[in-house]
Amino acid sequence: MDTHVANQSEQPDATDGTTTQRTTVLESFSYDDGIVRLFATATIVWALVATLVGLVVALLLVMPTLTGGLPWFSFGRLRPLHTNAAIFAFAGNAIFAAVYYSTQRLCKARMWSDTLSRLHFWGWQLIIVAAAVTLPLGITQSKEYAELEWPIDILIAVVWLLIFGGNFMMTLIHRRERHMYVALWFYIATIVTVAVLHVFNNLVVPAGLFKGYSVYAGVQDAFMQWWYGHNAVAFFLTTPFLGLMYYFLPKAADRPVFSYRLSIIHFWSLVFIYIWAGPHHLHYTALPEWASTLGMLFSLMLWMPSWGGMINGLLTLRGAWHKVAADPVLKFFVVGVTFYGMSTFEGPMLSIKSVNSLSHYTDWTIAHVHSGALGWNGFMAFGMLYWLLPRIFQTKIWSDKLVSLHFWTGTLGILLYIVPIYAAGLMQGLMWRAMDETGNLQYPDFIETVQSIVPLWWVRVLGGALYVGGVVMLCINALFTWFGRPDSYDVPVYSAPRLTDEYQDDPKPTSEMGDVPMLDSAKALSVWAKMGWHRRWERLPVKFTILTTLAVVIATLFELVPTFLIRSNVPTIATVKPYTPLELAGRHIFVSEGCYNCHSQMIRPIVAETKRYGEYSKPGEFIYDRPFQWGSRRIGPDLAREGGRQSSFWHWRHFENPEYVSPGSVMPSYEHLLTDEMNYDAIAPHVKAAWQLGAPYSDEELNNTAEIAYKQAEKVAADIVAQGGPASTMDKQAVALIAYLQRIGIDLFATPEPAAEENAGDAAAAAAVDPTEAAEAASAEAESEPAPETE
Amino acid sequence: MSEAPKTDHAYDGIEEYDNPLPGWWKWLFIASIVFSPFYWVYYHNGAKGRSIEDQYGVALAENTRLQFAEIGDLKLDGPTIAKFMAKDSWVKVGESVFRANCVSCHGREGEGKVGPNLTDEAYKNVAVLADIGKVINNGAGNGAMPKWSNRLHINEIVLVSAYVATLRGQNVEGGRPAEGREIPPWPEPAAEEEPAADEEAKS
Repeated sequence: MDTHVANQSEQPDATDGTTTQRTTVLESFSYDDGIVRLFATATIVWALVATLVGLVVALLLVMPTLTGGLPWFSFGRLRPLHTNAAIFAFAGNAIFAAVYYSTQRLCKARMWSDTLSRLHFWGWQLIIVAAAVTLPLGITQSKEYAELEWPIDILIAVVWLLIFGGNFMMTLIHRRERHMYVALWFYIATIVTVAVLHVFNNLVVPAGLFKGYSVYAGVQDAFMQWWYGHNAVAFFLTTPFLGLMYYFLPKAADRPVFSYRLSIIHFWSLVFIYIWAGPHHLHYTALPEWASTLGMLFSLMLWMPSWGGMINGLLTLRGAWHKVAADPVLKFFVVGVTFYGMSTFEGPMLSIKSVNSLSHYTDWTIAHVHSGALGWNGFMAFGMLYWLLPRIFQTKIWSDKLVSLHFWTGTLGILLYIVPIYAAGLMQGLMWRAMDETGNLQYPDFIETVQSIVPLWWVRVLGGALYVGGVVMLCINALFTWFGRPDSYDVPVYSAPRLTDEYQDDPKPTSEMGDVPMLDSAKALSVWAKMGWHRRWERLPVKFTILTTLAVVIATLFELVPTFLIRSNVPTIATVKPYTPLELAGRHIFVSEGCYNCHSQMIRPIVAETKRYGEYSKPGEFIYDRPFQWGSRRIGPDLAREGGRQSSFWHWRHFENPEYVSPGSVMPSYEHLLTDEMNYDAIAPHVKAAWQLGAPYSDEELNNTAEIAYKQAEKVAADIVAQGGPASTMDKQAVALIAYLQRIGIDLFATPEPAAEENAGDAAAAAAVDPTEAAEAASAEAESEPAPETE
Repeated sequence: MSEAPKTDHAYDGIEEYDNPLPGWWKWLFIASIVFSPFYWVYYHNGAKGRSIEDQYGVALAENTRLQFAEIGDLKLDGPTIAKFMAKDSWVKVGESVFRANCVSCHGREGEGKVGPNLTDEAYKNVAVLADIGKVINNGAGNGAMPKWSNRLHINEIVLVSAYVATLRGQNVEGGRPAEGREIPPWPEPAAEEEPAADEEAKS
């Protein structure tokens, strides 16, 4: 690198009038656009993959037999592949392209290490490929957007935090621009928060290379997961895209950003408040109500901080609307930011408990996330790519017309996707809760509520196909633009002075109130509002990073710690026992097949719901559930009280072909479970992991796991025969799954073992009268006087 | 909107205005913050009737009253089932229970799938009318028929029994072949005077 000495005034308008002349080192540097080309290309490729898989899962809902019952391509296994591809492959690579392009320019510095940049790129693609292989194989943790198993999780932590985070942080430290622009603040928040979320949600005890058991159980696991899940949306799909917007939108519009002060206030409020909002994904569940209320209130408070970003984006275009009419890049940005505004209004609205009681488990949520993902993330990424392509490939875009066509096709696609799905969500939600004048469910047959929205699912397929069509246009346009690239890329060399160690901040602003008689505190506030204090932080990247981390961690601790420490949050129920080895193995199959993608296991205390499914779920029922299986969408009925509801033979026939017992069902056949052999020797590590996490298993169960499991399987098989089913089913996987299904939700009604607990006497007496009351009495006692716990 | 001064910031050519926070934005933000403690205190000060579970209890009691205030808690026996077989509006309630819980085995019309056909004259575990209630309440056939005692209200069991009894003899086409043995027809419902029903409602 060339360095030469020059006289340079670092601060042209120094405060005291005496311009400080310093001897500074003028350094020459160039930007690494090769890494931007790599990430931009990956973004385009994964955009196609993610949306295509999305189209496939949309088709699987209307044509359940489309993939011919192949276990790797069922809805339950492909849906996580779609979400992971959309979030981590498509949006992820788009973020990295944006970060690598803009950070270098905003810092007037090349990325600190080209090697780390490449390691980041190839490491991330490796993670995506690992996900694309393991998810269809059924290797999953079943936590939404955190499905990948622990070895891949470790790789993610290394690539994200050490390689990407390290490289980014060192670039900030070696920057040549004194102050950090708002885009960089959002990148910082993204990097630290995603790392914290990822690590703490994925803590597991391994049971082999492909399976880990969450260190959290039941209510706590759900809480951690949605703290993660919600903030994955916040810090993977919102903050980095706001950073992207703050760089690329004013660049494309060639207009100053609307308000620096708004940037500051909405940045900090967004980062601090977002963290609390997670529990709104768990309204009316067994989560303690206070946590649910916190989630709702902070979601409402989040409305304006989110809109701060939208305002700063849209108002930056004031005086440039004529450009929007002409420039498809700006069109993408305007629609993207508008969808951001819509989603971030809808989010707080959906987090209001009474609204949520209608929307939860329905397609409304699906429509909501797609207006965000297709509109905000998709269109911001496309706008950025169309702005970047001519710059990184140093040629004109191949076809401007095709860009416009992509814009209109994509916009129409989004509308045709979300409008019918909003309608489907509302319709199904209303049908679930509809009661007739005699106080009975108006649509007691679940299938009826599914069948009524199938036509809307077809319209969604059409909308999705249009959106994919737009992505294909992007691919073609990018490919032909790339063909037009020069033989060798021009690498301009820039020069800028190295930052000096000393720096004189601007003078503290004074209040314009001057001598106006008013409280000193009011004057202090008016000075504070000029944000001089923040200007100082902006030149201190390490301090800024620490402050951001503190904002996120403090909010997290306030919310999470009480849930883990206060026992009354999860009152123990004496009759709730760990799963038997066979049931645990069956549960593993349930998770692997992705059943939770369509079936919840959480009955809310709402009359229409308990009439349909049975007694509502209690927190104490889930203490052995690792991971929790509460689900988030009911494409099929809830299973929280499935145990004993159907005969084992019924389940067998149902797996063979759901149509046989439920005509009109959209569930695919799971015939492979009826033929695949059950490996009884593979159960032991699962039991051992559960035992290590505190589930009380006997020595017998730990040492003779296979034998004990097989004995139970023989019993289930005997039941199947007695109920008119086929013989010798005990060697098949379905038997383990049936054993698990027959266990779900029945412990609450079990008669407590005599003398199992000193104070269970009353409860046992009550049990003779009514098992529900007995369980409630037992849990109430546990609440007033914590009984010996198993944890 | 009048143009605010620019800040002196410039990053890679991007400048920033020093516009103040929009007033409506600021006040909505403040309002959302101020609202929160009031909401919190209202719902979490420990007052009875405000928690979700309390509200559920009230709603459930209300629903039970709406459904069953007229008939009180029924007895699960033959005469009661026979009595309600004759009351169309109550048979409809039974049908609703049937459609929520029974169709996956017995079919939408009761024609039988995994479970037996309920529309023919043959029965496996039923000899007299009261047995329908017993089978539903306690289950039968080694769990082939699950027990419903802790899933359904006693009245729901009586009414769904009555509904199932009315299905007999409809012989829905394409139903599962007859199983078990033919049993004598159901007894005629006892002639009943209306006042008696009123008294029952009060009890």
